[in-house]
Amino acid sequence: MKDDAGVTREQRVEALGGMGCKRKRVEDARFTQGKGNYVDDIKMPGMLFGDFVRSPYAHARIKSIDTSAALALDGVVAVLTADDLRPLGLHWMPTLAGDKQMVLADGKVLFQGQEVAYVVAKDRYIAADAVELIDVDYEELPVIVDPFESMKSDTVLREDLVAEDGSLPDGAHGPRKHHNHIFTWEVGEKEATSQVIDSAQVVAEETMYYHRTHPCPLETCGCVASMDKVNGKLTLYGTFQAPHAIRTVVSLISGIEEHNIRVISPDIGGGFGNKVGAYPGYVCSVVASIVTGVPVKWVEDRMENLMTTAFARDYWMKGKISATPEGKITGLWCEVTADHGGFDACADPTKFPAGFMNICTGSYDIPTAYLAVDGVYTNKAPGGVSYRCSFRVTEAVYFIERMIEVLAIEMNMDAAELRRINFIKKEQFPYQSALGWEYDSGDYHTAWDKALKAVDYEGLRTEQAQRVEDFKTGKTRKLMGVGLSFFTEIVGAGPVKNCDILGLGMFDSCEIRIHPTGSAIARLGTISQGQGHATTFAQILASEIGLPADSITIEEGDTDTAPYGLGTYGSRSTPVAGAATAMAGRKIRAKAQMIAAYLLEVHDDDVEFDVDRFVVKGAPEKFKTMKEIAFAAYNQAIPGIEPGLEAVSYYDPPNMTYPFGAYICVMDIDVDTGEVDIRRFYALDDCGTRINPMIIEGQVHGGLTEALAVALGQEIAYDDMGNVKTGTLMDFFLPTAWEVPNYETDHTVTPSPHHPIGAKGVGESPHVGGVPCFSNAVNDAFRAFGLRHTHMPHDHWRIWKTANKLGLHG
Amino acid sequence: MELKDEIRISAPKRVVYDALQDPKILKQCIPGCEELIKKSDNELEAKVVLKVGPVKAKFSGDVTLDTTGAPDSFSLTGQGNGGAAGHAKGGADVTLTEDGDETILTYNAKAEIGGKLAQLGSRLIQGTAQKLAGKFFKSFGEAVEEEKVS
Repeated sequence: MKDDAGVTREQRVEALGGMGCKRKRVEDARFTQGKGNYVDDIKMPGMLFGDFVRSPYAHARIKSIDTSAALALDGVVAVLTADDLRPLGLHWMPTLAGDKQMVLADGKVLFQGQEVAYVVAKDRYIAADAVELIDVDYEELPVIVDPFESMKSDTVLREDLVAEDGSLPDGAHGPRKHHNHIFTWEVGEKEATSQVIDSAQVVAEETMYYHRTHPCPLETCGCVASMDKVNGKLTLYGTFQAPHAIRTVVSLISGIEEHNIRVISPDIGGGFGNKVGAYPGYVCSVVASIVTGVPVKWVEDRMENLMTTAFARDYWMKGKISATPEGKITGLWCEVTADHGGFDACADPTKFPAGFMNICTGSYDIPTAYLAVDGVYTNKAPGGVSYRCSFRVTEAVYFIERMIEVLAIEMNMDAAELRRINFIKKEQFPYQSALGWEYDSGDYHTAWDKALKAVDYEGLRTEQAQRVEDFKTGKTRKLMGVGLSFFTEIVGAGPVKNCDILGLGMFDSCEIRIHPTGSAIARLGTISQGQGHATTFAQILASEIGLPADSITIEEGDTDTAPYGLGTYGSRSTPVAGAATAMAGRKIRAKAQMIAAYLLEVHDDDVEFDVDRFVVKGAPEKFKTMKEIAFAAYNQAIPGIEPGLEAVSYYDPPNMTYPFGAYICVMDIDVDTGEVDIRRFYALDDCGTRINPMIIEGQVHGGLTEALAVALGQEIAYDDMGNVKTGTLMDFFLPTAWEVPNYETDHTVTPSPHHPIGAKGVGESPHVGGVPCFSNAVNDAFRAFGLRHTHMPHDHWRIWKTANKLGLHG
Repeated sequence: MELKDEIRISAPKRVVYDALQDPKILKQCIPGCEELIKKSDNELEAKVVLKVGPVKAKFSGDVTLDTTGAPDSFSLTGQGNGGAAGHAKGGADVTLTEDGDETILTYNAKAEIGGKLAQLGSRLIQGTAQKLAGKFFKSFGEAVEEEKVS
């Protein structure tokens, strides 16, 4: 083509803005100008507002609910209680974990903040006033906030799960040992592991608590339900990380046929797992809209978000690790007591009640291992979501990365060397782990060496030893900690053969329409909450179909238009929907090839794809650009080929992907104040093929910041009465620019062999690897003074107490 | 949560002791007290408006008095409910010691707070409770002294 004269191939590649380039985020134009459209921005004529009466008690029987004063308030339209929902069968709802949960308190409450009644009023303020007018008579019951105590207690938290004769029917995951027990999940070889550890020359043991915390997205959960009584269609706008799954769930529990439900996730202000589940607020809003015939909006406030919707972690992990005298690990034992709160509402694939906790052998070649997880009910909020990690992977990685450190202490070895000795070797991939996973690819030694070299690891240890001397001689009051972590993530859930949620297979999808003038729209089953999908998925497509990324619109979140998919969480968008995008793009390309061949008057096999065009093999001056092909696809009668250029792909991944990375943190700790100064943080990530380095860097910065939060102070703490002590941002630590250090990012590239473009996903890696890295640094600072392990979160007060206990305050 | 303090009141022990059970004086001295009804010799019913940081609510509750230690000591237990704002229960032991014409009043109170009050509370509630208790006993001391004069 003449206008291509003088344009080099490199320039054509650059013009596409495809994979590997630092394309600026297309979303930012609207976000930085305040033009995003979030759930709370949705305003509809006649819209009503919902608000909850919530329980101030953690465990109580409800003797009566008097709604008369609220109903008498001008502007109050309705008040719903469990009695109103019972005839519809909606006073309870299924959870994602195979349990059921009260939508509105049915006779009792099991955690503070539990939904008791739902007020519908003409505005948000009247609703809040009405909430205060509802008189609920509670009779206090004994409160249990400790899972170990719960397993011994006579107090029955869930009477609905005890048969009339007192026996315990099986739960969703098998037999239950006690009335407050949910499940036992075992993986690996119990006997063999026990034998290996019992006969080992070196064994290190430790119990660690991974405290309860919360994803705390900037935008809280909310929805607008709008039932159109004329055409029978329900439209539900909401902060959903999985809009299609929500549509199916709403259909199943409400009885409304799925084609009559349209779920729309508009812009979402962060999810991090908090917006995966289905909450009572959604059910009540839908019911209220059906009852009133007008739209009903419900949006949580911050306290409600922290107290009630989907917490994360709360795992007590007891470990044993054995090794040869040379440091080669021979066995790993892990017993977890998992506090799930009043209802089991974890968001995990059905067959994995403790998520992918069985990735806890980490990056190491451990021949024998055993894992047992017990889920327990307590008087805490339900949830158990993956806060910026794949299912329970952050717990698993924290566990193994702490166990390695404890083993290093036991053996008086350098922890970096101990890791190196035990890494799975490059040539062992695909690697079959003792607890059942097939790691797709990795090159851990290269990444580790690069990281250690980058920070001058030897130099750091020398400096640290000098610091200890200086401390002992009174020259300084600051200790230095070097935190190491090498993590292997397991993301991209997942193969339908073993991954489903409520029976919904965890494939994902992409549908592409090329417009006649050579631009396109692609719709996916995922939904961005800040990940930049509109930017990166267009880049994948640009490289696959040869149209500029700027000419490709990415659309997600509307179930009436987007193809069915399981949504965005667990770093699954790139591994699953990204693969679907590439595969759909390849279908487009296959048809384009036939069209090009026809236009160039050669056989299909005689043309080949080159950046943005098909060229005749051996005669590159003869070509048709994708833009020309797109026009021809619609407007030229081509024998044997139907008009149009569209494709759809539903991608069922053959395996998970296994991103990995090496992180090193250097911090100085003031022994007298417990304050932490992070001097350096180096993060090397290997997420396979890199789609957009700038987006990756942003993801790493965000994930590390949330890791810093969790490791250094962020928690949902309860007192003995079951009061949430950290229900506001005054007490719940959310780091700001002030607390956040400078991060150095680096990478290696080990593509996934089974993913169409070799990408593995990165959004959660920095969180998964970051938490143990920060925590290891704190622990390491005190290693010279005899500390083996101290629990997170390492806030100033706890660090001060650690120093005090070690006798460092003189 | 525990509160402890002692104050000095310029009145004899017996006067102070009686005043501690006088609904009129108590109502006047309890910060935010709107209603205080004596139901029997050792039972009171109260309505109190309480403000802790951003939470303001009307609490209604019952108080039971234990006067078996009269006139040297006195204890009370009670519970109150503020609806959406939360709830509280607790007790206090009060000891009176004569010191010339004056009486030294020592109190030792324990309280458990639940609901929204407790959530917002960990930082605010101790300070607020200390302040309220201080305010009560200060007013109480003044009221007793006034009563004595009149």
